[in-house]
Amino acid sequence: MKKTVDVAIPIGPVHPCWKEPVRIKCETRGEHVLSAEVEMGYMKKGIERIMRGRPWQEVMFLAERVCGICSVVHNMVFIEAMETISGITPPPRAAYLRVVANELDRMASHLIANFSYCYTIEHETLGMYLLNEREHVLDMLERLTGNRVNTAYMIPGGVRYDLRPADEKIIRETLDLLDTNLTRYAKMFETGPMIALRSKGVGILTKDQALEAHAVGPTARASGIAVDCRSNHPTYRAIGFSPIVRDEGDNYARIMVRFEELKQSIGLIRRSLAMMPDGPIRGGGICKGGEVRYSGEAPRGELTYFVKADRYGRVEEIAIQTPSIMNIDACTHYMLKGVTSIADVTSTFISSDPCIACNER
Amino acid sequence: MTEYLYEKDLRPMKYNILTAPRQDRTVRAMAARLGVRVQVFRRHLIERLDMSNLENMPARWEAALAIPAGDDALAAALGCDLFVRKIAVFTPAEMEAAYKKARTLADGGATLDAAVEEGKKALREVIAP
Repeated sequence: MKKTVDVAIPIGPVHPCWKEPVRIKCETRGEHVLSAEVEMGYMKKGIERIMRGRPWQEVMFLAERVCGICSVVHNMVFIEAMETISGITPPPRAAYLRVVANELDRMASHLIANFSYCYTIEHETLGMYLLNEREHVLDMLERLTGNRVNTAYMIPGGVRYDLRPADEKIIRETLDLLDTNLTRYAKMFETGPMIALRSKGVGILTKDQALEAHAVGPTARASGIAVDCRSNHPTYRAIGFSPIVRDEGDNYARIMVRFEELKQSIGLIRRSLAMMPDGPIRGGGICKGGEVRYSGEAPRGELTYFVKADRYGRVEEIAIQTPSIMNIDACTHYMLKGVTSIADVTSTFISSDPCIACNER
Repeated sequence: MTEYLYEKDLRPMKYNILTAPRQDRTVRAMAARLGVRVQVFRRHLIERLDMSNLENMPARWEAALAIPAGDDALAAALGCDLFVRKIAVFTPAEMEAAYKKARTLADGGATLDAAVEEGKKALREVIAP
C-alpha cells in the first residue's frame, strides 16, 4: 500500500544540534511525523575488525576508542570480560577505584547528554551551566586517572594508579560543589514552564515499546523498566545500588532520569571513597583463552562484549553491542513515530542520548 | 520510503552490517527457520530494514527468543509476532496471508508440521517471488 505523505524531510547528516553525523529521513503529513528511518555510515571505524587477531594489551586501548564520551566503561567492560575468562579478581581497593572512575565517566556523559538536550530546545543558559559542571567532573577524572578521556585506567587484576589523599580531599570537595549546583539545575529543568512545553508528553516510548525495541539504560528506565547492569555487579551490590525508574516515557522523563542519576553517582562515589580499604591496587594475573559474554552498565545502558580469546590472550573474535544500537532503534521507530511537530524530531532524538560513534564502532 | 534526489546507495554498508559475526549468526538462524537461502534472505533484509534495525537485530532476536511462546502453536511456529513486530521481516498483511493459508490447512485436518510448512512456503514467496 502506498503511503500518503506531504513531504519527506531529511534531517542531517550535519545538524547544529547533533554531536555526530547521522541522517534521519522523516515522512510527514503536515507537521505530523508518520515514520522515520535512520541512515548511518558517515563515520564507520570497523574497530571490531581491527581488534581481531590482536593481543589483549592492544585491544584494551582500541576498546576505549570506540567512544570518546564513555571511554572508561569500554575499558572496564573489556578488562572485566578478560578477567572473567582468566579467573582474575581485582583487589578490593582497585574494585572501588573502578567504581569511582566509572561513575565519573557516567556523570560526564549524562552532563553532556542533558547539555545537548537543553541546547536543542534553545535553553542555552542551562546547557552552558551543565557544560561548566562537566569540566569539574573531567578534572576529577584527570586527578584519578591522569587523563580526561581515553584513560586506560583499568588493567587485568587492578587499576593503574592509586588515589592520593590530597586528590581524594579535592574530589570530595568538588562532589559537594556539584551536589549543590546540580540540585539547582535539576530544579530549573523540573520547574521551567517553557521546558515542560517542549518536553512533557513529547516523544513517548511506552513500556511495551521499550521492551519490544530492547531499549536499555536511562531510555528504558524512563519508560518504567527497572533494568541496570550495576544491580548485578559485585562491587555495586556491596555499595548498595538500586536503579532510578520513572514511568512517563517522554523526553522530560529521560532528562530527569539522567539528573537523578547524576545525584546517585555522587552518592555512589562518596560511598566508594568511604568504604575503600587500604591495600594493593594490582593483584596480578595472566590472561588466558576462552569465550565470554560480559555486560556492564555504560552511561547510555547495557554494554556487552562478546570476546573469544586464544590461550595467549589474543582476541580471536569480538563483537561489541553498545547501548546506542538499541536506543537509536527505539527512538527512530517508536518515539519519532507520531511526533506532532518537526521541531520536536531533533529534541526527541537527542533525548535518547544517541552515540553514533558507539553505534558505528 | 520516498525517493530522495540525492539518495545514497546504502546496500554495501547494510551488507557490511549484516556480515558482522553476531548479525551473520542471527541471519543464518532466521534463514534456517524460514527455509530460505542466506544470500536471498540478506537481500530481503537489506531492502526492508534500515541500518538501525540491522544493527539492533541480534539483540531483538535474542530478547524475542527468551519470551515464552503464546497459546497458538501455529502462530508461534510461523513466528507471527517474531517476524512482524520484533523484527520487521514481513508486513502484518503478508504474515496474515501466510497464517490464513496455514490455518485453513490445519483446520482441514492437516498436521501442525504440514500447516507450518504451507505458511512458510507463502513467506518464502514474499522473500523470493
